[in-house]
Amino acid sequence: MFEIHLSGRQSRVDWGMILAIVGLMFIGVAFIYSAKPPSETTAWYNQFPVRQIIWYLMGAAAAVGICLIDYHSLARWSIVAYWTAILLLISVLLPHVGAYRLGAWRWIDLGFFQLQPSEFAKLAFIFIQAHFLSRPTEELRQPTVFVKAVGLTLLPFLLILKEPDLGSALVLLPVGLVMTYVAGVPTRFLRRLVSAAGVLVALLLVDILFAPPAWQIKLEDYQRRRLWVYFNRDFAADKSTEAERQKARLQERNDSWNVKQALISVGSGGFWGKGWRNGQQIMLGYLPPIVAHNDFIFSVIAEEKGFLGSVLVLSLYTVVLFTGIRIAGQARDRLGKLLAVGVVTLLFSHVFINIGMNIRLMPVTGIPLPLLSYGGSSVLCSLIAAGILQNVYLYRRNY
Amino acid sequence: MLIFDQIRKNDRQLRVLAISVLSGLGLLLLGLWYVQVLSAKRYQTSQINQSFRTVRIPAIRGKIFDANGVALAENRPSYNVNLYLDELRPYFRSAYSNNFNWVMRQLTRTNSKARLTRNQRIELGKLTRYQVVSNLVYRVSSLLHQPVPLQDKKFLEHYDQRLFMPMAVLTNLNPTQIALFAEQSADLPGFDLEVQPVRVYPHHAAAGHLLGHLQRDDSAADDDVFFNYRMPDFRGVVGIEGAFDEQLRGRNGVKSVLVDSLGYRQSENVWAPAEAGQSVYLTIDIAIQQAAEKALRSAPVPYSGPVRGAVVVMDPRNGDLIAMASNPAYDPNDFAVRLTQERAEAAKLDDPILRPQINRAMQENYAPGSIFKIVVGLAGLEAGTLDPNEIYHSKGFYEIARGHKPIDDLAGPGDFNFRRALVKSSNSYFIREGLKLGVDRIAEMGKRFHFGERTGILPRQEAPGILPTREWREKNLGGAWFDGNTANLSIGQEIDVTPLQVAVMISAVANGGMVYWPRLVTRIEPQDPFSADQAVKFPAGRVRGELGISNNSLNAVRGAMLADVEDAEGTGTRAFVPGMRICAKTGTAQIRQGRKTIGHTTWIASFAPFDNARYVVVVMIEDGTSGGATSAPVAQQVYLALQKRESQSKPTKPESLVKN
Repeated sequence: MFEIHLSGRQSRVDWGMILAIVGLMFIGVAFIYSAKPPSETTAWYNQFPVRQIIWYLMGAAAAVGICLIDYHSLARWSIVAYWTAILLLISVLLPHVGAYRLGAWRWIDLGFFQLQPSEFAKLAFIFIQAHFLSRPTEELRQPTVFVKAVGLTLLPFLLILKEPDLGSALVLLPVGLVMTYVAGVPTRFLRRLVSAAGVLVALLLVDILFAPPAWQIKLEDYQRRRLWVYFNRDFAADKSTEAERQKARLQERNDSWNVKQALISVGSGGFWGKGWRNGQQIMLGYLPPIVAHNDFIFSVIAEEKGFLGSVLVLSLYTVVLFTGIRIAGQARDRLGKLLAVGVVTLLFSHVFINIGMNIRLMPVTGIPLPLLSYGGSSVLCSLIAAGILQNVYLYRRNY
Repeated sequence: MLIFDQIRKNDRQLRVLAISVLSGLGLLLLGLWYVQVLSAKRYQTSQINQSFRTVRIPAIRGKIFDANGVALAENRPSYNVNLYLDELRPYFRSAYSNNFNWVMRQLTRTNSKARLTRNQRIELGKLTRYQVVSNLVYRVSSLLHQPVPLQDKKFLEHYDQRLFMPMAVLTNLNPTQIALFAEQSADLPGFDLEVQPVRVYPHHAAAGHLLGHLQRDDSAADDDVFFNYRMPDFRGVVGIEGAFDEQLRGRNGVKSVLVDSLGYRQSENVWAPAEAGQSVYLTIDIAIQQAAEKALRSAPVPYSGPVRGAVVVMDPRNGDLIAMASNPAYDPNDFAVRLTQERAEAAKLDDPILRPQINRAMQENYAPGSIFKIVVGLAGLEAGTLDPNEIYHSKGFYEIARGHKPIDDLAGPGDFNFRRALVKSSNSYFIREGLKLGVDRIAEMGKRFHFGERTGILPRQEAPGILPTREWREKNLGGAWFDGNTANLSIGQEIDVTPLQVAVMISAVANGGMVYWPRLVTRIEPQDPFSADQAVKFPAGRVRGELGISNNSLNAVRGAMLADVEDAEGTGTRAFVPGMRICAKTGTAQIRQGRKTIGHTTWIASFAPFDNARYVVVVMIEDGTSGGATSAPVAQQVYLALQKRESQSKPTKPESLVKN
């Protein structure tokens, strides 16, 4: 699919990364098939693995499309893309436009496809941040530029937070941070920002976990409970009557169910795994079928293929990420470097948070695992992101 | 290499990024190693714990047989209709979607945006499941022509807690219902017929006290594994069922049921099959047992209502119990299912006077009265203080000392030698002899018969009796032993025995001095001949002690006992059976409250035949008229039954003759 560019003398795609991505796509289809075996009542083209393949193909086409245009030309459109994304994020929150599912306004219903603007907002954000930061280094020393960069990050962050989609919102922060750092913004700015954010987060956690109810800031109830689950807090601790306690315990059981079952899936896979399509957690429905093929696809892989399977997945991501860092180093200018760095950080954040939540390293946030999780927006964005990396690589010597 | 090249980069920022990414991935790798390799066992265990339920399967209980192999306790199949809820899931689903659509139509009629909350949907699911099940149960109920109640509370409880087990819909089907169900249940989804063994005692109350009964047992005391569910199980509480519960019960099996996240059964796997319990073989002959019970029930007592008494039939040659009856009795079948209040009341199980749950042959103390004179006589003969031929002139009462209240003597005044004194049961004669001997020597002779000690045939269901001595009196009643006490002891008062102990005593007298351990169980044998368990045999004729009494003394007593039945003036003539040569001693012990006599415990202690004793029959009846009048006819009936049994069984020929 990249043949057109192969004709050029020095412009060649990075085959290592492409192989890793194809490998991940194979794994993705195989285990979506395992988590969602074909059902007789659904038409073949509506089966989950088939749809995922379709998304892969569309994603690949989009990636190729991205590669056709030099990233410099693309970056010129970044302001348009950014504000379009912001508009979409706002429209999601509007009644009649956004679709309400699973307790959040995250989607725009296009009939054949549930568009999740936050995924595309991430890419638009990388573009505009790279575009904004690729100015002369002297300018970057000015606090106003830094404040603007932070503002560019905070605007989509707050909008996504409002949906609410804490996970997707949080991913923007490391991406913005790493990009400003790599761009060469003075480290003292960053240090202050990070310590201020650290203090804020610490205060927030103390408030959520320990403050009396009246003093707690208004988090979404389910977010608070997810944090409680992560910190192993007894739900029934402050309940006085037995009925309330029982209700709280049931709530705790329900809320911690996914995490607990994901951990059991991963752990019981052991070293060798139970074999493809032999995962009991799926078969018996302990790993809930509504999340097994998307946010918790890693549990399925880990149960059926064991530690070996997990290492394979990690290795493939390692190849993609480090190829990305190499591309950043080889980029011909700061714009290219920043784009690559942004994409690498974005993919890494997704991988780390998603796998981390499967083994209880991170609290549960609805973040997909790039290329493996089922879902159109996620697959499209991941492949477009890979396309951006290839683009930077492709045009590295086009002076 | 790709990774290290990036870390060794000159570009400081990219180096930091590469190191961060690498440490992040390394952290994930460590975490995965910890979860998937180091803690794999733990998570595999928790997966098994959440997806398997262990079920305890009780073993089929061993049977109890009499000496001739007649089953006294066995198992009958009881047919139950069970409902497997997991097979109804498609029905639940389709009914739910119907109900859901209907509800939504109703709701949207008024408000087009109406939605059901999560809790409402859960509630609707519950209602739907109950509706589906109750419709099906109604169909079964009309098929079997029997109303089947389905309480929603019970159903919900089952659904919440025991979803992996089938739900019992109807128990104990009759043959017509079994046939109807087998024919037409094909279009009833989820229903299945289950066979469960139920304990049954085919002879009902016969030997009920010996057999004992079962009790529903849901305790987890004997399990070393945790069970999510224990199928109904029973435990023997008294009698043979209680004493040999461990052997009869067998070993329970373990079944594991794989369940899904909702608790529905997916598959079953029997880890360890239940091993049937072993069978117990008794020395009892159920024909004689029934005869003895019948005789006891029809004893001529001077009161209305059930006869209260006991009969012990023993083989004096080895101590085997042929029968052991106690009346009033109860039917152990009543306990096998579940003892209802009405049934317990109808059987008067808690009546303070009748006390049908007490085995009077061994569980209650009675004064032996005159039958104890045998012991006093033997002690005197052995000590040489008693000359069997010496004539003693009785005044018809006995005065221990001047001014004491004289002790009555129903034998009346007259001249008595030993034989006549025993036949007529002269109190004066034996009081005089007892006083000559003194309490120590009487007690010593009583010890040789092991009075005051349990025989140990059934644990926790036997009274030891009381054999009084000076020390015993001092310790328990706090007073010195007086001659008056010796006088009472000489005629069988102030001492307590059980009918079983008397049977042991008479056996020893009849067989020439061997005191045997009474035997009730001959062997315990696995039901399955290929079982790894070994049969356990209990040898016959285990000797407990020897009397060490000369044949002359024993002959003197035996002769007198024969005369007691066969002489015209004997007290035991009513026990007479032609051709049996029965020897007996009757007894009528007074039960006193203060100075007043409130009743008599009437005895006959006998053996037969005179010269080659094969049977010992002891009859004890509470509140009878006298031993001769009340108990002797019962003994006679028992001997008649024994005689009949002998005539029915063909005499065994020596083997050499059979071959010719």
